[in-house]
Order: sequence, then C-alpha cells, then structure tokens
Amino acid sequence: MPGGVSSRLISDWASALKIPPVEPGTVGPCPVAPDALQGIVRQQTNAARWNGAGWREFVAELGAAGVALAEGAAATGIYATDAGGTAYGLPHGVLVARSAAQVAALLMAAQAHRVPVTVRGGGLTTEGESVAYGGVLLDMTGMGRVLAIDAEAMTVRTEAGIYWHDLAEELRRAGLDYLSAPLNMTSSVGGTLGVGGIDVNSARLGCSADQAISLQVVTPTGEIVECSDSENADLFQRVILGYGQFGVITEATLKIRPYTPLSMHYYYYSTLREAIEDLQMLDANDASDYSGILTIMDCAVNLLVAFDSSEREAAFKATWEKRLRGHGEFGFALCVAGHYAMRPWKLGEALYLLKRKQAVFPEFRRAEFHRDGRMEDRTVVFSRAVWKHWGSRNMVIPDLATSADKFIEAVERGNAVCRKFFPHYTLYCVGIKLRAEHKPHYEMSCVPPDAAGWAYGCEFEPMIEDAVYSRDHFQSFKNAIYDIGVDLGASYYRFGGMMKGYIRRVFGDALVDRHLAMKRRADPAMILNRDVIF
Amino acid sequence: MYSSAHPRAYSACSGCSLCRLVCPMWRARRDPCYSPEGIAKARQSGAALAELAPALEACTLCGACDPVCPEDIALSAMIMALRRELPPHPELVALQVGYRQAAESAAADPAGALLLPGAAMRADPALHEKVTALLGIRAAQDDGADIAVALEIGGQIAPQRLRRFLDGLDGRGLVVGDGLLLAALRRWLPAARLQGLGEALGNLNAIRRRIASADFYVIEARAYHADHERLVAHYDALRKESGCAMNLDLQRIAMPPHASAYPGLRIGSAREDLAQARWLLQGRNPARIVVENAAEREVFRRVADVPVLHLAELAASNEEIHHA
Ligand SMILES: Cc1cc2nc3c(=O)[nH]c(=O)nc-3n(C[C@H](O)[C@H](O)[C@H](O)COP(=O)(O)OP(=O)(O)OC[C@H]3O[C@@H](n4cnc5c(N)ncnc54)[C@H](O)[C@@H]3O)c2cc1C
Ligand code: SF4
Ligand code: SF4
Repeated sequence: MPGGVSSRLISDWASALKIPPVEPGTVGPCPVAPDALQGIVRQQTNAARWNGAGWREFVAELGAAGVALAEGAAATGIYATDAGGTAYGLPHGVLVARSAAQVAALLMAAQAHRVPVTVRGGGLTTEGESVAYGGVLLDMTGMGRVLAIDAEAMTVRTEAGIYWHDLAEELRRAGLDYLSAPLNMTSSVGGTLGVGGIDVNSARLGCSADQAISLQVVTPTGEIVECSDSENADLFQRVILGYGQFGVITEATLKIRPYTPLSMHYYYYSTLREAIEDLQMLDANDASDYSGILTIMDCAVNLLVAFDSSEREAAFKATWEKRLRGHGEFGFALCVAGHYAMRPWKLGEALYLLKRKQAVFPEFRRAEFHRDGRMEDRTVVFSRAVWKHWGSRNMVIPDLATSADKFIEAVERGNAVCRKFFPHYTLYCVGIKLRAEHKPHYEMSCVPPDAAGWAYGCEFEPMIEDAVYSRDHFQSFKNAIYDIGVDLGASYYRFGGMMKGYIRRVFGDALVDRHLAMKRRADPAMILNRDVIF
Repeated sequence: MYSSAHPRAYSACSGCSLCRLVCPMWRARRDPCYSPEGIAKARQSGAALAELAPALEACTLCGACDPVCPEDIALSAMIMALRRELPPHPELVALQVGYRQAAESAAADPAGALLLPGAAMRADPALHEKVTALLGIRAAQDDGADIAVALEIGGQIAPQRLRRFLDGLDGRGLVVGDGLLLAALRRWLPAARLQGLGEALGNLNAIRRRIASADFYVIEARAYHADHERLVAHYDALRKESGCAMNLDLQRIAMPPHASAYPGLRIGSAREDLAQARWLLQGRNPARIVVENAAEREVFRRVADVPVLHLAELAASNEEIHHA
C-alpha cells in the first residue's frame, strides 16, 4: 500500500475514534488494555512518556540563562506519583520555582525546544494531573512567601506556590484568615485556584477560586502578565479553574477575613437523603456559616454545622435546629443499637462502625485544638484526621458535582456503586455557592453547567485499609461513578488526567474544541500540562 | 492509614507532605529534597546515599516530623541511622572523644534522682547551679554528653561505654537536658522515670506562676516531639493558664529557633541561621522570651531586644529556689 494512502487511512481511523493528534516528540497512544474505559471512545488512561528529544540542548540553553534543572533519583523521585498513587511517571528534570522571571525563562525555552512542562503545587491530584511523564516538573512550592497583607482592604498578596497552611500561619499572626480553602494543609494556592478549592464554608463563601481578585500569570510562551476580571480578563477567566492549561500562576491577590474560632455541632442521620435535604435546607436559608456531610458508609451520616459567632449560632438554634431530622450522638447511638439488634447478621458492619467511631471521633475533639468550646484551626483538625484515617499510598476519590436538584440522586447512585466495589467507604458532601458574575470562570470546570445558586459536590472515597486492589479495580470503580455524571449531565472536581476520557462526554465536542483552539493559540507547542485535559 | 504496628519504614511514605510544613530545613530552603518526605521518597526511588547526604547533614534533628507523619514513619530515627553511614566530621568526632574522656574519669553517683544537664547547661555554671537547686536533685557526674553528641552526629557508641552509662542510671528518676538523649533513654531504659528539663521546671510552682501572658515561651523541640502525645496536653494547659504565646505552629508542633544542623554543639560547622528565629517572632511583640534550652538564648538575643531568660531564671531569688 503506498505510504500516502496508509497514513490517510490511519488518520481517518484516528479521527473516527477521536484520538487526539500525537504531539511531536511523544510516543503514540498507549496500546495497552483498549477496553480499560468501557463505553468511552478510546483514549489512553495514562499519558505517553515524552521521549526526551533535544533534552540536553534544552538543559544547556537554560543553564546558560542561569536556570539549573535538577536531575537524578533524589531530585525526581519525589514526584513519581501524586496523592492518588495510581499514576506513575518521572520527569527528566526538576525546577523548584523561585521567581516569575525564572518560570518565564523556562517556558520560553520549553516552547522553542518543545519540551513538556508539568506544574505541581501540593501534588494532591489523584488522577496523575500533577505527574510529569518526562520533560520538566516545575515545583511551585519554592515560591511560598507572603508578599503583603492589607488589613484595611482585607486582601493578601502571596506567591502562588504557598501552602494554604503556611498562608494561614502567617495571617493568624495578624488575627486574620483566608476565606475558604481545601480541608487539606498541603494544597497550594496556585494549584487550588486552577481546580476549585472547596471548604466547609463554601456553601456560604464559594470556592477558593472565587476568592482570587487578581493573579500574576506566566503564559505558556513565557510572558509575565497581571490579570483580573478588569485587566486581561480573558486570561484570568481561563486561568481560574483552568487546570493549569493557560498559564502558571506565580502570584495571587486573595480576599481575607478576620480570624474566628468556630463552634461546631454534629447531627447524625441514618439515611443519606434526609441528611442531604437538611443540608440543602440550611444552605438555602443561610442558616449556618459552615456545613457539610461526612459519613461512615451510608450507615452513619454526620451533618456538621458550625458558626463563627454566637449570634449566628443563637439564630440557628432558635429557628433552624428544630427542623433538622438528625439526632445527637447519644440518640443516634440508641437508634443504631436498635437497628443492628434487629439485624444480627449485620454484626460485622456494626462492629466496623463502632471501631471507626472510636478511632475518628476523638480526632475531632482534641483538647489542644479547642478553647472555650470552640474549635481553632479547623483545617488542621480536618486535614490531620483525613490523612490519618483516610490517607494511604493509594487515594482514589472520584466525585460528582451537580446542580442542587440532581444531587440526591447522584449521591444515592454513587453510594450504590461504592457498596458494590468496596466493603468500607466514606462520602463527603458539601455545597458551593456560585457567583453569577463569575459564570465565565466556571466554563468547562468542576462547576456543572446547569447549576445556579449552588452546586453540590460529593466525594466517594473507599477505605483502602490493609487491602490491595488492582489499578483496574480502581479504574472500573471510578468509571462507574463518572458514568453517573454523564447520565445526569453533571461535572467532576477531578476530570483531568486519567479521567480526561470523560471530558468530551460531559462538556460536548463544541465546548471542548473551542477550549482546545484557545489552548493551541496560547501554547503553540502544547507544552504546558499537556496530559491533563487535552 | 495502615493498621500494622508502628513505627514504619520509608516505604510507607504516601507523599502527603505534612512533614514538610513543620520541617525547619525545608522552610529555610523550600526545596523538597531537604525534607523528610524528600528523603523517604528518594529512598523509594533508589537514590544513592551520596545524593541524600546534603539533606541528611542539614537536618536539625528537631523531631517535628515524627508526630505529624500520618503513616507513623520514624523519620528522625531514619535520618539518624542514615547519618551513621556518612563519613564522620573530624571536628565532631573530636568533640565526642573529648566528652567521653571526661566521662571516663567520672565517679559513681550516690542513689537518688539525677539531672543530666547536657553540654549547653554545663557551659553556664550559674544556670546549672540554679537548675539543680530548683529541682533539688544532684547533677550526674557522667551525663552522657559524648553519647548525646554521638546520637546527633551519627557517631559510634561503644557498647561497653553505653552499658556503663546506663548501669549508673537504671532505676532512678532522671531529668534530662538534652532532647535527643532523652528520647534514646526512653528506648534504652523503658522502666525509668524520665522527664525533660522544660517539663520538670515547668511543673514547679515557683516557675509556673511566673510565666506571664506577655511572654514568648520557647519549648525545646526535641524533648517535646519525642513525647508529643503526652506533652501537647502539658503545654496546652500551661498556655491556657498563663496566656503566653509559644513557639507552636497551628499543628501544635514546636518550631525550633534554628534551621541548621548540630544546633547545640557550638562548633565551627554550626551555621547560625537567624531567619528561623525571626520568623518565630514575626507578628509578635513579647515583653520577654523564655527558653527551655540554654543553647537557644543566644540566637534570640541576636534577633530580639527584649530580655531572653532561661526558664530556671524566672525563679529569681535563692529563697524562692529553696522553697520550690
Ligand atoms: C486527602 C485529600 C483531601 C482533599 N481535600 C480537599 C478539599 O477538602 N477540598 C478541595 O477543594 N480539594 C480537596 N482535595 C483536592 C486537592 O486539595 C485539590 O486538588 C488541591 O487544591 C490542589 O492543590 P495542589 O496544590 O495540590 O495542586 P496540584 O495537585 O499540584 O495541581 C493541580 C493542578 O493544577 C496545576 N497547577 C499546580 N500549581 C499550579 C500553578 N501555580 N499554576 C498553574 N497550574 C498549577 C497542576 O498541573 C495540576 O494540573 C483533596 C485531595 C486529597 C488528596
Ligand atoms: S528532624 Fe526536624 S529538621 Fe530533620 S527532617 Fe525532621 S522536621 Fe526536618
Ligand atoms: S508525613 Fe510521612 S507520609 Fe507524609 S510525606 Fe512526610 S514522610 Fe511521607
């Protein structure tokens, strides 16, 4: 067969299957396990490793410009995977970012040499989005200084590689706090603004990405640009919630607020539906400052409600508490005891609940994090508990983000999937207040396209414990959850990396192609975070 | 979290980075290679010892990483063990040998509780005298200063030397000034009644009631982290009672005032790093700084213009000391 015909056939076949064109320097689509994503137009789940073409020349050029890349096992090994621990890849070299100028020099050279650059903050992605499959790993945590706190304007300017925890530490010395951030101390500001940032106060204050007033961004071609909703707004809208596709965030100006310890209340439910209805009722009525649901499987469903001030707490007690259908701890223990007494064959489940309660509950009540009945440092309390009682070398946390009215169905269907795949798991549900004026930021992001007012997110987290599961098992589980999202027209917090096969299915070709065209214009060699979305 | 017995090895590192947040060597450099996570992950990736040497040499052995690791990896012990495989520093070995020679000529102590003051306190005879008077116990003739240095620098401890040292301590109540030695004694003498110097002094009324709300109280990091679960309650009570600020971060981890290795040895290689002490004081306006570790007075005196006192110096008069 003449060469022209065969290559045309291959390209026809590739476009029929919607395989994206192979970028120069990469190895072609992964030939392994073509049915790994059942029902999805075939796309590789794990990114192809860049083949290293021209690496030495690239390193030499950067070295001459005073930008030294670290190579070798000690420098690169730390980035072998992300918090998920199921995607693995090593960079050829690492740059720990120190300044925007240095990041700009890196990206300019990377464009010229077509070397992929993967940006990493805390590396808390779970789908390999912050894993480099060759090329450069740009570690932003080297840029971790707070630059200026303006207590009058209530803003902070910070380098974007800073961990939220370090930002909180510094703000606290001035009696201040950030508005909302992941309940995880080691996520970075830049990484979070690119993906969302959901806190237990997000139903009231929105996600972290909504707290950004302006950003300094290094574009994929190496320009250093300040942007906001009023300055370079197009860039701002694409970088916020943009999964690092349109630039590296090097500095951010964020809203802040006075620090307050909070008073926490817990209500226990035995059905997801009632707890979610009550959560949404509280959110819709602005009845609390913090709200969320944390479960032990679907047997012990904990609605947490918290307040910054005694006035808000008193108003809640006077008006809303009586409408909640949840029980206090003692009342719930009685209900559970009654439930399992009637079902002795479920003794194993009852014992698990008890064991889990004994391990986890004290973590939330440690004396050193409480003063006068109020919890200090909620993120520390939650993050410690999460890593200690949920963390492990594999963290598989598929999620569904829906409009308020589809949420109960999403959670109930996701719960059934969890029950099918794992003996033990946790669900974490929270609301996210949306800002109508930020609609352009939300395009093709974790915010579901049909949500208005609030979006709701649920994470489905299996307890891995001492068990060993295959990657296939995890992938099938994630697919089963994500299929619900396709069915419901939802979105996902973690839609990139290994799950990017779902992007076209949930957002549709027209939107994805528009973003792809923008990406190609902004990043001609497609070097920046190339395996995350497109 | 894995439920198997702890402590666990570097292979259990999940990369959560919680240890980075508390690590002074990481804070000083913001390069993950200089963090417990970096060392654990490098080992998972088969890095050679030579590649790890700069980080192993830079670690302050403050022990802050140990209580925060959700996987219960004994991180500072891992670093100490790896340090033992590095070529020794001649000046540090000479220091250890000097202390050992002094210990060899030490007489046996009479029965009763003992203070093991450590090199930093011995270097300040007035403070040393005050502490023994306050605690009402005598200082050991052999306080294991050479063993403390060996633990810190990764030096060899001859088994006979260790046995002789421990034989003299077994069954006694001990107050230990050196945090690394205290942690090791807990392993070596599980039945002994052991206290760190800060805790022992802080439990004395004459001292405790003089800790003021305007003080900045500096907990000795090594002793604190080696027994964190218990001591976090002790210091929380002290903080609530006195209203003072402490060198605790939001995770209730004690930030040491230095970010360089061999902090207490006062030798040429100990690089003075004032940035960490300045960070501790940032945004705070204490009227006084109170330290538990005598070696830490100097660094605060260089960055603050308020009085810097050792905890024992709070009980001012001799009369008070006799009534303590
Ligand atoms: C145990 C656990 C708990 C979690 N809890 C929460 C929670 O409560 N709420 C929540 O919202 N999320 C949570 N997450 C998800 C995680 O915190 C978020 O994904 C996080 O905010 C990402 O921040 P990061 O710094 O880790 O980013 P990374 O994982 O490093 O990066 C995320 C993406 O952004 C890119 N990127 C990173 N830095 C930059 C930058 N400076 N400029 C441009 N692009 C960049 C990366 O290439 C990657 O594609 C949790 C994750 C785990 C593992
Ligand atoms: S002992 Fe201290 S300096 Fe050393 S790695 Fe742990 S936290 Fe860092
Ligand atoms: S705290 Fe422990 S598990 Fe987490 S990164 Fe550090 S060494 Fe690894």
